[in-house]
Amino acid sequence: MNQALKQPRPGRDVMVAGVGLHQFGRFPNRDLASLAAASVVAALEDASVRWRDVSIAYFGHVYYHGMSVGETALSRLGLTGIPIINVENACSSGSTAFWQAYWGVASGMFDLALAFGAEKVPSGPVTVTSAESPDRFIGADHMMGGYALRMRRYMEETGAPASAFAQVAVKARRNGSLNPFAHRRQTYSIEEVLNSRLVADPLTLFQCCPTSEGAAAAIICARDALSRYNIDQSRSVRIAAACLTSGIYNGRGSDHSAFSPYRTEPAALQAYEMSGLGPEDVNLVQVHDAATIGELQQLEALQLIPYGEAWRATAEGRTALAGDIPTNTDGGLLAMGHPFGATGIRMIHETVTQLRREAGPRQVARARVGLAQCSGAGDVTTVHILTR
Amino acid sequence: MPTSVDPQRLKLSPDDEGAGVLIGFECRECKVKVFGRATFCQSCTSNNLEPMEFSASGSLFSYTIIRVPPEGWPGPVPYLLGEVELPEGPHVLAEIIESQESDLTIGRPMELVIRSVKALRSDEERAVYKWRPAISVPANGKAKQ
Repeated sequence: MNQALKQPRPGRDVMVAGVGLHQFGRFPNRDLASLAAASVVAALEDASVRWRDVSIAYFGHVYYHGMSVGETALSRLGLTGIPIINVENACSSGSTAFWQAYWGVASGMFDLALAFGAEKVPSGPVTVTSAESPDRFIGADHMMGGYALRMRRYMEETGAPASAFAQVAVKARRNGSLNPFAHRRQTYSIEEVLNSRLVADPLTLFQCCPTSEGAAAAIICARDALSRYNIDQSRSVRIAAACLTSGIYNGRGSDHSAFSPYRTEPAALQAYEMSGLGPEDVNLVQVHDAATIGELQQLEALQLIPYGEAWRATAEGRTALAGDIPTNTDGGLLAMGHPFGATGIRMIHETVTQLRREAGPRQVARARVGLAQCSGAGDVTTVHILTR
Repeated sequence: MPTSVDPQRLKLSPDDEGAGVLIGFECRECKVKVFGRATFCQSCTSNNLEPMEFSASGSLFSYTIIRVPPEGWPGPVPYLLGEVELPEGPHVLAEIIESQESDLTIGRPMELVIRSVKALRSDEERAVYKWRPAISVPANGKAKQ
């Protein structure tokens, strides 16, 4: 591993005190700042803290809606003069904002921090490069095309049938149908998933996350400052690990292998080391399922399931709500939708909700240690581990 | 004559229109070979790099059919997108032409061809590298009609 990649040194104990969401979906009459502000109000209410007590804020978003949108959104709650930082890290912008807020508190510089994110993703294929990039001529920049290349390799190397991938989508929709915040709540059969129109062969439409709008927010607080803000300690959830890595050269450049551990494993290993926990301790998982293949690859790279076996584990129901590795319990990107800036914090929202045992009909039985993994272009990976 | 779609990745032949070669570097320190010219090695960060040219053929690593193209795509819809593993190691993504999905299997030999492509909303033309199933393997990557 690259010498530059150091194991982070833990700071003081940091807790998630409150979480909030704005509905995911399409909201043509609401601007980005409105969505974002609504999620912040929900998180403040959940934590029972006042906006004027928050001492730093990080805002994740990707698409351009004017400069300093974080400041615009928060100005609606009152101008308190605190540092507000706008964060862009592709699909992991939200989880990156959360990671920064964590370190702001863990370092001792701040006691009460806000991480929030929002997005209005335009419809159509998602691309990473700018419109002037050579890749537009070459035709290589296509997010779901990349997942399709990986899926074909995975099928080739593991023998997984197309139906195995469809089962990931069926599970996501089943979980999403139990979640009032989900963009897509309709359930589908394996046949309906396989027969939906092709996006990038062999990926069909219902195996790709919708492009969505929505917002998510989290209030985090130093454990030793909870009582000062009258935060209910019994509802707060400890952040046991917060890790973020970017790409490491893999010897291939463009690579859509069935297994690409260099992409997720470094952050996962850091997170296990930092938390003192291992994959065997994790009993609640949120991963970046932008396409069905993504969920399988992430579960394996996180070392929760051996390489090449996540499709069998899915078929056996191990990743369902009643399984031993309940995964994407709120519907994941596939059912919730994927507003880039919000997604990573939405995963924190679900993890906190499950660990508090407040998830209602989708509550899993043994949630004690929850892991949330989010990916972004640039081979960004964030891994957070939360414990009760 | 069109200009290279990306001079860091495709060097056009000055005296043979329609021919070109994929370029990159070999790191003199860590020995890694990378597609695309650069100043620093992406693997070990050294700046001790030897420019190199890559083979004009490789094997098909994976492929898909893009049904909804990215914005700005100037080609046909749908189109085949292939990832080819060069014998030197790097993988190169490009459109697969002169082929149908039924012709393709993972591991199939592929060869590089250069095509002139007109931009979607201007008269700008670029020489773009593409893959096709290998018929013969030209030494210089020259397009054979």
